[in-house]
Amino acid sequence: MATVLLSGIRKEFGSTVALSDFSLEIESGELICLLGPSGCGKTTALRVLAGFEKPDAGTVIVGGEDITSLPTAQRNFGMVFQEYSLFPNMTGLGNVEFALKLRKAGSAERKETVDRLLEITRLTEHADKFPHQMSGGQRQRVALARALASQPRVLLLDEPLSALDAKVRDSLREEIRRVQREVGVTTLFVTHDQHEALAIADRVGVMSEGRLEQLDPPRVLYERPASAFVAGFVGTVNRMPAEREGDRWRVLNRAVRAQPTVPGAHLALVRPEQIAVDGDAQGDATVSAITFLGPLTRVVVDGPGGSVIADLLTAEFGGVSVGDTVRIRLRDDVSDVVLIEA
Amino acid sequence: MKVLRAVFLVLLGLFFFIPLLAMARFAFQSVPVVLLTPEKLLEGWSVSGLIEVFGSPEFQKAAFISLQLMLLAIAITLVLLLPVAALVEIRAPQLRTAMAAITLLPWVVPPIALVVGVAATFRNTVPWFLASPYSLVPFYVLWALPFSYRAIDAGLRSIGARTLYEAARVMGASTFTIIVRVIVPNMIGAIIAASVLTAALVLGEFAFAALLLKETLPTFMAEFQRSEPRAGMALALAVMLLTALIIWIGVRALRKRGMDLQAAGV
Repeated sequence: MATVLLSGIRKEFGSTVALSDFSLEIESGELICLLGPSGCGKTTALRVLAGFEKPDAGTVIVGGEDITSLPTAQRNFGMVFQEYSLFPNMTGLGNVEFALKLRKAGSAERKETVDRLLEITRLTEHADKFPHQMSGGQRQRVALARALASQPRVLLLDEPLSALDAKVRDSLREEIRRVQREVGVTTLFVTHDQHEALAIADRVGVMSEGRLEQLDPPRVLYERPASAFVAGFVGTVNRMPAEREGDRWRVLNRAVRAQPTVPGAHLALVRPEQIAVDGDAQGDATVSAITFLGPLTRVVVDGPGGSVIADLLTAEFGGVSVGDTVRIRLRDDVSDVVLIEA
Repeated sequence: MKVLRAVFLVLLGLFFFIPLLAMARFAFQSVPVVLLTPEKLLEGWSVSGLIEVFGSPEFQKAAFISLQLMLLAIAITLVLLLPVAALVEIRAPQLRTAMAAITLLPWVVPPIALVVGVAATFRNTVPWFLASPYSLVPFYVLWALPFSYRAIDAGLRSIGARTLYEAARVMGASTFTIIVRVIVPNMIGAIIAASVLTAALVLGEFAFAALLLKETLPTFMAEFQRSEPRAGMALALAVMLLTALIIWIGVRALRKRGMDLQAAGV
């Protein structure tokens, strides 16, 4: 187990800047997700840590040791790829054993490690299958077991669930989290899927244009986005005018607490579930769309300030319909909002 | 439409079959040529001429040389091309377009130009090189390159060589170990395809051997046909069948692995 410290990493490909002054610290045993749109540099960050890309500037330190120019093969990391990367000529067992054979581990040690890994990834009865005889989920579980075989200092997961269908993806996500906790390995997980990131990570790093925008636990990221980009990328958000009233800020019908980070005009970031919609013939807004989402019902309202999205609990949904005149307000339990510069 | 298709297929079949039949009759019927009429289709068939050729020391020598050239060309192709193609795919995929163009060059330069150029160079520097029949091997390796490279390259891409390489690299494997234990075992299909194509080209290649005055199976056949037209024709048929057989064996071996020559990039 080791702490990871990437500091001041810069990486360019031709004229494209993939990473600019990128820094990230991962604590021992922690699972960090890098989240961002494609081309934001998250995969490059992982590949720099893996040693596949040499950074143009900056250092990579793992367990206190500077490994910036150490070849990949000597880093003792484990990695799971987005594409199926099992060796087709070896069985599941053979794949898991490969790293141990490379390190010339004795057969008793090999058997013990392999048996344990196959057990915690629940693959024991599939061990003798070849990759082409396995389902996508089984292959990625073997890939996970294989990545853990050499007791790596760091586990790297490069969109390991992207090639799988939705149901398998959810169960394998939980599985990865369980195994990661059980083994206690420091882990970097790269994904473009916010649900995946929020569900699995101890902390999520949102990236944009080669920089880390915010690194926080999932809940903080959602409730206290540090920038408009983060707010927009993680979950859905409404931007609403906010006016100063003493030490409070008025948003819609109420004045609430907020911390302005800069002076001047501000917009409040309001999540759809923080808004209530009341049927009111004197209201200033009109319902333009209603989508049933199971536990929630999403109502889109066109008002004077533009279009606003509200997610109402289906159980409490009062039954407005498209075309109705309504009034929107902040829910009573909302006590503070996040402000950004207008 | 169905009738039209049938007619077309029959015509196509006749187009291939009639010359083969004519060749076979000329080669294997011990009937004077002017008497090879349709009525005598079943008369006097014999393979004694062919057996006689097979027994002749000149034939055996030429065939043995061609066989050696074939095996050497395949061996050198695989030993040189496989690691180079693998390294391009893994380490420098941006060079792939250039490789595709370079490997086509041997077919852009006519054999006569290649031979004259190479011969002139070597005659003045290392004259012994062109004296041996094995000097044909490099020419054959080059000559087969457009096909062999494509077969290998398609194989590398279909197994996702790059990801396999990176996966093994993280586990601590050296590049050599990865090529020997991961890449090659998963490329058997492509290796068979490249080998079969190289074999077929070497067994039929005439221009290089003739220009460099080497006695290989094709040059022997050309010469032999002049003195013994009928036995020569028999030999030509036999070699044709042998080449077809090699390709058929290759295709079968590929099919067992769920591939065809097309999937192998040909």
